[in-house]
Amino acid sequence: MSGLCRRISAIIGCIVILLSTGATGVEAAATPAPSTPIQHFLFMMQGDRSFDNYFGVYPGADGIPSGVCQEFVVGRPDSGCVQPFLIDQASAASVIAGPNLINRQWNNGAMNRFVAAFHTQGRDGTVAMGHYDADMLPFYWSVAQNYVLFDRFFASTRLGESANRNYWVAAGPAPGPAGDQAAGFDQTTIFDRLQDAGVSWKFYVQDYQPDKNYRAAPITDPTTQPVRVPLLKQDRFIDNPELSSHIVDLDQYYTDLAAGTLPAVSYIASSSASERSARSLPTGQNLARNLLTQLMLSRFWESSAFLLSYDGSGGWFDHVAPPQVDENGYGLRVPALLVSPYAPQGVVNQTVLDSTSALKFIEDNWSLPPLTARDTAATSIAGALDFRTTPRAARLLPVRPVEAEPLVGATGAVYLTYGSAAGVIGLMLILAAVLPWTRRGLTLLYRGRHRWDRIGAPSP
Amino acid sequence: MRSPTSPGQAQIDIRESPAGRHARPATSGLSTGRALLRRLSPLAVPVLSLAAVLGLAAFFRFWQLDAVGFNSDEAVYTGTAASIAGDPAMVPIFPIFRAHPVLFQMLLSLFLGDGVSDWTARALPAAIGVATVALTYLLGRRLYGHRAGLIGALILAVMTYHVVVTRQVLLDGLMTLCATGVLYCIVRYSETIALRWLLAAGAMMGATILSKETSIVLAGGLYAYFALTPAVRLKFRHLLLAGVTTIVVVLAFPLALTLAGRASTGQNYLLWQLFRRSNHPLDFYLAVVPAAVGYLVLAAAIGGLIWLRTENTWRERLLICWMLVPVAFFTVWPVKGYQYLLPIAPVLAVLAGRMISRLGTTPHFVNRPRRGSVTRIVAAAVVVASLLVPTVQEIQPSGRTTFLAGTGGVPGGREAGLWLRDNVPAGAQLLTIGPSMANILQFYGLHRSLALSVSPNPQSRNPSYTPVTNPDLAVRSGQIQYLVWDTYTAARTPFFAGKLTELADRYHGVQVFPKPSGIGAAGSEQSPAVVIYQVRAP
Repeated sequence: MSGLCRRISAIIGCIVILLSTGATGVEAAATPAPSTPIQHFLFMMQGDRSFDNYFGVYPGADGIPSGVCQEFVVGRPDSGCVQPFLIDQASAASVIAGPNLINRQWNNGAMNRFVAAFHTQGRDGTVAMGHYDADMLPFYWSVAQNYVLFDRFFASTRLGESANRNYWVAAGPAPGPAGDQAAGFDQTTIFDRLQDAGVSWKFYVQDYQPDKNYRAAPITDPTTQPVRVPLLKQDRFIDNPELSSHIVDLDQYYTDLAAGTLPAVSYIASSSASERSARSLPTGQNLARNLLTQLMLSRFWESSAFLLSYDGSGGWFDHVAPPQVDENGYGLRVPALLVSPYAPQGVVNQTVLDSTSALKFIEDNWSLPPLTARDTAATSIAGALDFRTTPRAARLLPVRPVEAEPLVGATGAVYLTYGSAAGVIGLMLILAAVLPWTRRGLTLLYRGRHRWDRIGAPSP
Repeated sequence: MRSPTSPGQAQIDIRESPAGRHARPATSGLSTGRALLRRLSPLAVPVLSLAAVLGLAAFFRFWQLDAVGFNSDEAVYTGTAASIAGDPAMVPIFPIFRAHPVLFQMLLSLFLGDGVSDWTARALPAAIGVATVALTYLLGRRLYGHRAGLIGALILAVMTYHVVVTRQVLLDGLMTLCATGVLYCIVRYSETIALRWLLAAGAMMGATILSKETSIVLAGGLYAYFALTPAVRLKFRHLLLAGVTTIVVVLAFPLALTLAGRASTGQNYLLWQLFRRSNHPLDFYLAVVPAAVGYLVLAAAIGGLIWLRTENTWRERLLICWMLVPVAFFTVWPVKGYQYLLPIAPVLAVLAGRMISRLGTTPHFVNRPRRGSVTRIVAAAVVVASLLVPTVQEIQPSGRTTFLAGTGGVPGGREAGLWLRDNVPAGAQLLTIGPSMANILQFYGLHRSLALSVSPNPQSRNPSYTPVTNPDLAVRSGQIQYLVWDTYTAARTPFFAGKLTELADRYHGVQVFPKPSGIGAAGSEQSPAVVIYQVRAP
């Protein structure tokens, strides 16, 4: 290469670098600053659990009331009833329930057909009354004890998992009469808003397969990728590289944390760890634990909030009748946990919320226009955070609570027994060392007195 | 009162022992004052010389005391003491009752009320070391006179073995002080057959056992001494009362466990100690201790016993029994530790002092007292000089990463632990290659640390340690967030070091300490002593 060519290529290189630097600078300048200290919001959606199923016996929460017994046939006490029971490892079971069954369970707010709805289908609905406790959900209960647990967080709709996932990203059901069955549609999502505003975002998907979109996978099965990732039902998120490049495998989450490239808004969809089945419950907890742990170990902890929730009640019992905000919503209560350095410790928040409350928070935080009437009217989850206090230092949660040794008794026992032993040792040594001196002193005293006796007392 | 001495020996005793001096008739009035002055002026030289020896002992024990961080045992004992003192950060990590009695830890806890520091923790055993030098002087003076006592104390003051161990937060320093106290009391009993001295010996024996339970072996030495020395008539009533005194003192150990509801802790540890595998070859002490106490010291002690064999009495028999029994026991006992034989160090020093103090007193020197003095001074100087070089080398802070357990602190452990304390969130857990580094990191880092090499078999592990039965699961389930590799343990257990490296590779290990900066890979010559990897589930 001649010297001239080398100079020209160097100049071009400099120009490219300058332009790219300038572009980045412009982009960075255009990114709206968040209105709260939360610069990174993460929302993980799991599947099919009701609040009472996970936290029905959690102290301080609006859990399962006493005396509940769901009849096999409503209005016929003689048909028998099922009381809530604790699910242990041996009785681990799963419930499969579509929107129709959940609507029957809801029964216009009577909340009295959780077993009967199964019974009318010829299925044993007993398992729907099962619930977990701290032994089976040690990590989630530990999160609740250390951060915020919502006990009025509802599924957005009773139309099923697919529709709820759509509410998750777009504050409404998929357009068209099919509702949750729709695919290949065009609907504005929160990610469009973020993209337009220049706010960074990513959709992390466990075991992500880019080719598994609505065109290649059935959307009736809630476990398929297009259902779990509703963006994959829209053509532009499939075909437009500018958008599709934001949908990445969950491994990228860890890479982003390590590289310092965590986006402002992150959505997380699990796959095998979705918690829909009893078998996936431990893996779901492990996944949530790993995600939170790595977040806490990263430099993003101080400016982040992590919301974990569920896309529907899945047929499990819940005793609270959901408020009616539209024809199909809310759905039944679902578990929801908020982890952030600004989350107060061990608070059970009773604000009525749903997944659009998270959208409301994103919109408020980054000054984005709302998507639908639902997120416009929703209450933001920001109320659960306390920005007046200094952010809490990260504290990884133990798999199981560690019981410390009772200190007072042990310390007292040590000082009492060893102190007594030291006393005995000291006494023996003093006796051994001082006794002859004492004798000698007494002897001298005795001799001295006799001498005074002989000489007589001195005159004054 | 019977004195079990030969006539010739008795003369020496009366002249040189304090008891002999105190046996003089008492004076009165002004003459008492003058006598006191007369008696004080000759005391000045011995007192000053002893003060100089103690100053030297203190210098070697306190100089650069915290230049290197704790080793595993030091971390555990200091952590336990801090727990006793009520340090909330240490209580969940270091339970008060682990294995040994906690007399030393209780004493240490009294100094940790305002917080834990390496220097404060090490200052106590260092002070105990200086006290042992003083007691060795008393013992030597009692047995062989001031000169022998002073030379013995000087030897112990600079003896590598004693200096190295008493610069560490270990139980053995206090055990040696108490054991030397036992010996002193037994000497006094042998001289007087007075019950009070045997009771004091019993109490000190109890203190020795409460310092470290393995010292119960020393009782065997006393048994051998009394059994082999008919001249010292041990009365059964005295023995019984002294035994009761020992038991009363030692009862503190099981009583504390029972009161705290931890009786099974001591039992488990005892069972493990009885059946654990050998950790060193049979000739371990033969290879290690002579160099640590000093070859010339050993030669002087043994040479003196041979050279002065015609003068040997119950004194030498007591000292020999006191040394031989623990040496024989720990040689045969499968579990060996560098510091286990420390109680014989003062005895060797006294015997060496005895020999050197007798140099220049042979008939050849009768008309040449100055030459005799010079001979003694030169001999003492040569012996002390032979100790000074290795002692100075041992207490110099160095970056070495392979050494014998118990011979000093572990380089790199403190720095890694403090990094953990400052940079890692509470609740994070670590996995190290072995439990030694785990203890160090727990102490400095205040994070729970597990060790890969801890056996899942309860019969093959220290009951204080928690095994990681499935390390993969521990990482995958999020129980472990950091893996720690260190050269010290890697050199001892290459198998588990390799396993840890495999885990780091498998679970996306990212080196977070020290910050990678072109340093060689772990295990290479340029690698740091400790490397911490952050790992995550796949």
